[in-house]
Amino acid sequence: MSTDSDKPATDVKSEEKPAPAAKPAPKPVAKKPEEIPVELPAFEKGISDKIVEKFGDKVEVAFVKEDRVRINVSRENVLDVAEFIRDGLNFDHVESVTGVDFPQDKEIEVVYHIGSYSDSTLARQIIVLATRAQREENPIPGNDSTKLPTLRNIFYSVEFHEREIFEMLGVYFDGHPDNRRLLLPEDWADLPPLRKDFVLKGR
Amino acid sequence: MMNEIMPGLALQKVDERIMTLNVGPQHPGSGHMRLVVQIDGDYIVACDPDPGYVHRGEEKMAEYRNYILNIPHLERPVIHDSCNVLYPYVLGVEEILGIEVPERAKYVRVIASELNRCIYIMYWLAIYGIFLGHSTMFMWPAGDRELLIDLMEKMTGARVTHAHFVPGGVRNDLPPNFEDVCLRHVNYFEKRIKEYSAVFYDNPILIARTRDTGVLSRQDAIRLGTTGSVLRASGVDYDLRKKEPYDAYDELDIHTNVMKEGDSYARSRIPWLDMMESCNIIRQALQKMPKSGSVRVKLKPNPKGKGDQTVYKRVESGRGSLGCYVVSNGKPEPYRLKLSVPSFRNLIALPYLLKGEKLGNMPSVYWSLNYWPVEADR
Amino acid sequence: MSVIAPKFKLSEFIKSLLDNIFWIILILNLIGLPLVFMILFAIEMPVIHGELLTPFLALSWIADPSRTLPIIQSFMETDMFKVMAFPGFGFAALLAAGTIFVERKMMAKIQLRVGPFYCGKFEGILQLMGDGLKLISKEIIIPAKADKPIFWAAPVIFVATAAAFVALIPVAPGWVVADVDLGLLGVFAVIGFFPIITILSAWSANSKYPFIGGIRALFQMVSFEIPLILSLLGVVILTGSLNLSEIAASQSNFPWIIFLPVGAIVFFITMLAELERIPFDLPEAESEIVAGWLTELSGMMYGLVQLGTYLKLYAFAGLFVVLFLGGWNGPTIVPPLPIELIEHGIEMGPITLKIAGLAPLLTELITHEMINGTLWFVLKTVGVIFFIILPRGVFPRIRVDMLLNLGWGKLIGLAFVNIFIALGLLYAGVLGPGGLQ
Repeated sequence: MSTDSDKPATDVKSEEKPAPAAKPAPKPVAKKPEEIPVELPAFEKGISDKIVEKFGDKVEVAFVKEDRVRINVSRENVLDVAEFIRDGLNFDHVESVTGVDFPQDKEIEVVYHIGSYSDSTLARQIIVLATRAQREENPIPGNDSTKLPTLRNIFYSVEFHEREIFEMLGVYFDGHPDNRRLLLPEDWADLPPLRKDFVLKGR
Repeated sequence: MMNEIMPGLALQKVDERIMTLNVGPQHPGSGHMRLVVQIDGDYIVACDPDPGYVHRGEEKMAEYRNYILNIPHLERPVIHDSCNVLYPYVLGVEEILGIEVPERAKYVRVIASELNRCIYIMYWLAIYGIFLGHSTMFMWPAGDRELLIDLMEKMTGARVTHAHFVPGGVRNDLPPNFEDVCLRHVNYFEKRIKEYSAVFYDNPILIARTRDTGVLSRQDAIRLGTTGSVLRASGVDYDLRKKEPYDAYDELDIHTNVMKEGDSYARSRIPWLDMMESCNIIRQALQKMPKSGSVRVKLKPNPKGKGDQTVYKRVESGRGSLGCYVVSNGKPEPYRLKLSVPSFRNLIALPYLLKGEKLGNMPSVYWSLNYWPVEADR
Repeated sequence: MSVIAPKFKLSEFIKSLLDNIFWIILILNLIGLPLVFMILFAIEMPVIHGELLTPFLALSWIADPSRTLPIIQSFMETDMFKVMAFPGFGFAALLAAGTIFVERKMMAKIQLRVGPFYCGKFEGILQLMGDGLKLISKEIIIPAKADKPIFWAAPVIFVATAAAFVALIPVAPGWVVADVDLGLLGVFAVIGFFPIITILSAWSANSKYPFIGGIRALFQMVSFEIPLILSLLGVVILTGSLNLSEIAASQSNFPWIIFLPVGAIVFFITMLAELERIPFDLPEAESEIVAGWLTELSGMMYGLVQLGTYLKLYAFAGLFVVLFLGGWNGPTIVPPLPIELIEHGIEMGPITLKIAGLAPLLTELITHEMINGTLWFVLKTVGVIFFIILPRGVFPRIRVDMLLNLGWGKLIGLAFVNIFIALGLLYAGVLGPGGLQ
């Protein structure tokens, strides 16, 4: 099956794209002779519609696939969206938190995968919630502008994951009770390892 | 003063009543992880896990290798359970490249995954026996899993780190007489593990040591985001093979084992029940498997996906649900690869459960969380 | 030559040989001979056939076959032999060595393994000797801040106490190293000494893990002493004497375990705890505190502690047999010795075959009764040791608070029940000192 997904958006307010509807957005690069409208899965579409209905243009639905719905949010609104996902949509835990470094956009993206154990209709679904943080050339982890609000008070299970992103990418989480090293040794004095500037020796 | 010399260290005031014990990485009771435990007499006041002693930077290294070269690289977190660690990655890459896997390959993957699950759980049970001081419980699983390791060796050529799953199917077909040998081994294996109840699970001292210790309620298990046998021992019926079936699991009949107590005894019993369930699954898969067909879709060298895609796939491994998040930007190497491992997710339950426990219960609670240190560190 | 010893020089070899010979002769003559004379001065030489035995006389008599056996007999009658060889150290050490081997083999079979296999022609029977040689050759490492005199002395005192315990156990009628009237009280005193040695050894090592292990060993041994003593009081009540030989002799018709099964069970459990055997091996809990109070002992000190532990095992098993299982009593399964034949010899025509001195040996010392008694004692002890070893393959380790609950609560209660049973039997006139009435 062909999966159309947009490039994770450069700017978060997606005014230039048409409202997320049944038609997929046209790909900016490929030259296809015709567009075959793909029917988006109904249940996942229902979930994404509810979020869009509540938050309007503060969120952007990146794709709606089978079992996966991806929402891009700005860092100011991520707390509200996460709270709605927990209370309104019955998702109860975060499975994993990933940080991706985009040096060409000067941003670091943090992606939360949120799932549900208690609701049996949502057992397969995962909401992919993505926010972006600013990225600086010379990072001082903890003391520069790479900050995001923490989701720990909403979803308790992100505690260790956010600590790992702090040490691996240098993203400071405001409000996290314990921003400390987890996997790296205590005397690590180099760049955060998962950044693209940190190059492995010999490659 | 110390902070200037070595960033990351901090001086702590010493409390006269509380003793800080370093259950360190070089300790017969801790695996490759350090637990800084603060005890007041016999009770644990606080516990601070310190993983990272086996951290290799696998996710960073994966960005330098193309999709096929990542196969032997990514199976290293859990060497016995390597098929299950590769499984979500392989499924994700197949979605990125847009490949459909032949039917026989799906069944072979199911059989390999179930065998690996049993091998891992036997090893975990063996170490659980050592932690409790039960040397017979160490020797029996370690010996009985040789039956299954022999099967894996026949199938893939290696005892551990099989590197058998590739995007597009499985590397090689099953050897000629595999079905009969597998059935015999699995039947004998099931008979052997049924005897464990006499020496281990019905042992009064074991029951006295693990019952009602480290109780994780259902609410907490969901809120902490635990997974796998820890979750099922607390009463949540969640098994990815049933809820989100992948490959041939939607055609097989699977029963999920759930226990309600949520204590260490339940958490140590669920994997054993899961093993017996795996034997059933293997037997069904051997029956339903298409008898012939290709097991691999040949790829062009240096395969790459089109455009920018992100995929998240997950699989039920021996410890819980293992996920793999792949970000691809059209190059032959993944842009970012993240393994969301169940051991790391279950780790958050450890400081939560150990607060207020007796020090003598620490090994039984800690290892019952199905924690594999190498995997948690990646 | 160059492959084996590339720098071999014949002159150096001969020089080293002569060096060794020189030193051996020097030490033997200057130190050895005076030592032998001093010992001979102190030891009483036996009187055989009216003549005082001197070393030269002994050497000349041993050459005469008709006098060898009387010499051996008179040596066997001395106290030294009893202490060192038969019911004392040598016998106990032999049984201890056998116990270690059987334990390793039995554990292996339970755990689907083979156990010692390669050392020795038959299934690894020389493994213990190999292990002993290894321990002797290791370097003994003393922690820098340890209390050196006590640290060195602790294993030696441990073995000495275990040997003292062994000395009180009667093996056959009349064959006991120390025939004390208050034998059982002596046993209690010796058992009460063991926790002190453990805590001394643990404290003097000055390190965290032996400290925790020593405290745990102290908890364990002290909390199980009271049920131990109480469970044995039932037997004392029914026998009326504290002398171990008399207790064994009083069971000539029936062993006490028939009447006091509760006491036997309580004693068995406390025995496992005093010996630090699984399930009570908290002081050496490997997965939690490395090796407990044995952590800092290395080389032969560890070997001495192991020797002491297994001597203790034999002594406790022997105590159980003497008190509850009837000691050396048992049906006569050894055929009676043909004394007549030995005294007069076998006559075949003009030739008489006779071994001089064998008859007195067999009638006075190694009597038929003694052989039978020893055989039954050994059989029963081996059986008890088998049951002590068996829980090692079956049970995990018990936890500290469960242990203390057991020792201070349940076992004391059961021991009191046992005493009441014994008192009831006594005052109802069923049993009494001396046997069934």
